[in-house]
Amino acid sequence: MNHLGVMVILREGICPGINEEFIKALQSEDIKTVEDFVSCNPEELAQKCSLSYKALVAVRRLLLAQYTAFPVSGADLYEELLSSTAILSTGNPSLDKLLDSGLYTGEITELTGSPGSGKTQVCFSVAVNISHQLKQTVFYIDTKSGMCANRLLQMLQTKTPNMEEQMEALQKIKVFRVFDVFSLLACLQHLRSNGLQKASVGGGSVKALMVDSVSAVLSSLLGGKQNEGMSLLIQVAGELKMIAKDFNIAILVTNHVTRDGNGHLKAGLGQSWSHVPRTRVLLQRVEDAETSSLRTATLTKSSRQACHLVEEFDLCHWSEERRTSISGKRKLEERSKP
Amino acid sequence: MEFRNYCAKINEMTARVRMAENGAQLVSRLEGRQSLRDIEPNIFPVDCGPGQGDVVEFHGLEGTGKTETLYHLITRCIMPVQSGGLEVAVVFVDTDYHFDMLRLVSVLEGRLAEDSKEGDCSENEPEERVRSCLRRLSVVHCNSSVQLLLTLHYLENTFSSQASLCLLVIDSISSFYWVDRFNGGESTVCQEANLRKCAELLDRLRRNYGIVIFATTHAIMRNYGSDSGVSEVPGSSSSSRRWRLADSATDFDKPYLCKAWQRIVTHRMLFTKSHVSKQVFSTACTSIMTKGVKRCSFHVMEGGIKFVCDK
Repeated sequence: MNHLGVMVILREGICPGINEEFIKALQSEDIKTVEDFVSCNPEELAQKCSLSYKALVAVRRLLLAQYTAFPVSGADLYEELLSSTAILSTGNPSLDKLLDSGLYTGEITELTGSPGSGKTQVCFSVAVNISHQLKQTVFYIDTKSGMCANRLLQMLQTKTPNMEEQMEALQKIKVFRVFDVFSLLACLQHLRSNGLQKASVGGGSVKALMVDSVSAVLSSLLGGKQNEGMSLLIQVAGELKMIAKDFNIAILVTNHVTRDGNGHLKAGLGQSWSHVPRTRVLLQRVEDAETSSLRTATLTKSSRQACHLVEEFDLCHWSEERRTSISGKRKLEERSKP
Repeated sequence: MEFRNYCAKINEMTARVRMAENGAQLVSRLEGRQSLRDIEPNIFPVDCGPGQGDVVEFHGLEGTGKTETLYHLITRCIMPVQSGGLEVAVVFVDTDYHFDMLRLVSVLEGRLAEDSKEGDCSENEPEERVRSCLRRLSVVHCNSSVQLLLTLHYLENTFSSQASLCLLVIDSISSFYWVDRFNGGESTVCQEANLRKCAELLDRLRRNYGIVIFATTHAIMRNYGSDSGVSEVPGSSSSSRRWRLADSATDFDKPYLCKAWQRIVTHRMLFTKSHVSKQVFSTACTSIMTKGVKRCSFHVMEGGIKFVCDK
């Protein structure tokens, strides 16, 4: 089924009972697509064309069965979710607290922040945690050439001195490089149609997908009067959501920030993208901190926790718990660790 | 000659009888659906709750509480009467994979727990009570406007045969706006064709079966040059002006979906988030049947919505 919303044209063989004469008879009434056909009343149609009422009703029923989405009972859906949803810890206790234990499969989580706020570093740390600690495959879609295998190796070396373990974890992080929206769409569609199950390494399944960053490929399409840009943005959103839901994968995307009318920071890519992620975290540098690796994460959108929760953490000490909040400046000085 | 016409007429009439409804469908159509007028007096105008055949549009920016309000209303519908619910069935059409079952279940559990404190602690464990409520809910995912149209046609059978199905929720009906606009090329008629057909079908469904329809629309169009009150936006129809006069001025309130949809909406609820106090959300509800605006504020807590109403 074409998910782009383009009309479905009535063709011979599209369903049993539709042959050439059938289609010709319908065309004489100016009915060319499935949706036109289904919208017509079979009684009236039987009177206008030379087709039998029974045949029309039968074909209508078959087409509907083929092309509609079927309702699922809420109870069954809930059972399925309970058994299939997993929460992936990010490895950082402060961030996990903000995200209500971690990244949830089946959902898109967004990291926003200005350049240098640490979004890519956070993605690396989370990927390393998932591949090494949780032993699951991670798909990393890099649109900015920010992926640096050396940095990943460095992070792994702090977790374990064992070379084999490090290599195994590195192999579980699969990197895809795309630089424009069409290759991003092609990559996502490929993953969805056959890549995901086959590409998982070492028997583990794929549980996480990261896109760093979506705004790098989408922001240049927006603005002006072109409709194509918005349509492509919605298509990317649709692909990501389908992958998250159908394969039970946690998706992490990064986005830039802009300022709104009141001077507050808000996520980039505008209103239409803002509906897409289920959870959004804003990363910022800590002003006047003695170590430049300190960051604050603010929860700006969540369906599980109250918004505007803030947690602080150190990019260089990822698994450490920071027991301070942003107001405890004195405690910050006490905690300087090598 | 007249006799032949008479025969033709009889044939036509009997032909119609042949294709008529079966017993269950007839009963469900005549009996009428249960009324949802008392579903939530806090947010709907007095005596103007959603009756049979009403269409309520939930409009607002992202993060303003539309989906949370929907979950609140759905919970009220699917809970049993002893717990304060309406015990009716709901169909939820999800167009952008937005539906959060886990959140709905937290809200449901919260409401069931608070109602069981007063009433008797029935034999059923909480899990079973949640499941029996969830059986009254059906969820459908659509990923294009064509699929939405065809699914609504398919659902017509469900509406005609199931009399307890009183509510259709579409979250959201504006998801395919940009994709349709691009695929329709230059002609607005082509762009809006699918949504127009959906709106016409929804109109027929609500009139024939008396179901209530709740649909959310995202506020994505900027309202350039709008004052509080009269709008100067070129091309705004009289129907959009009627809504705008009652609404509080917002930057993103321009109605942009096709006219066929705007014509069937009977209640419009505008959601906003307070700038002053970050945790407060507000709704402003207008309806074509009453004058004036019903305003309400609420917080979103872990167990669902908590109203802070002033009227």
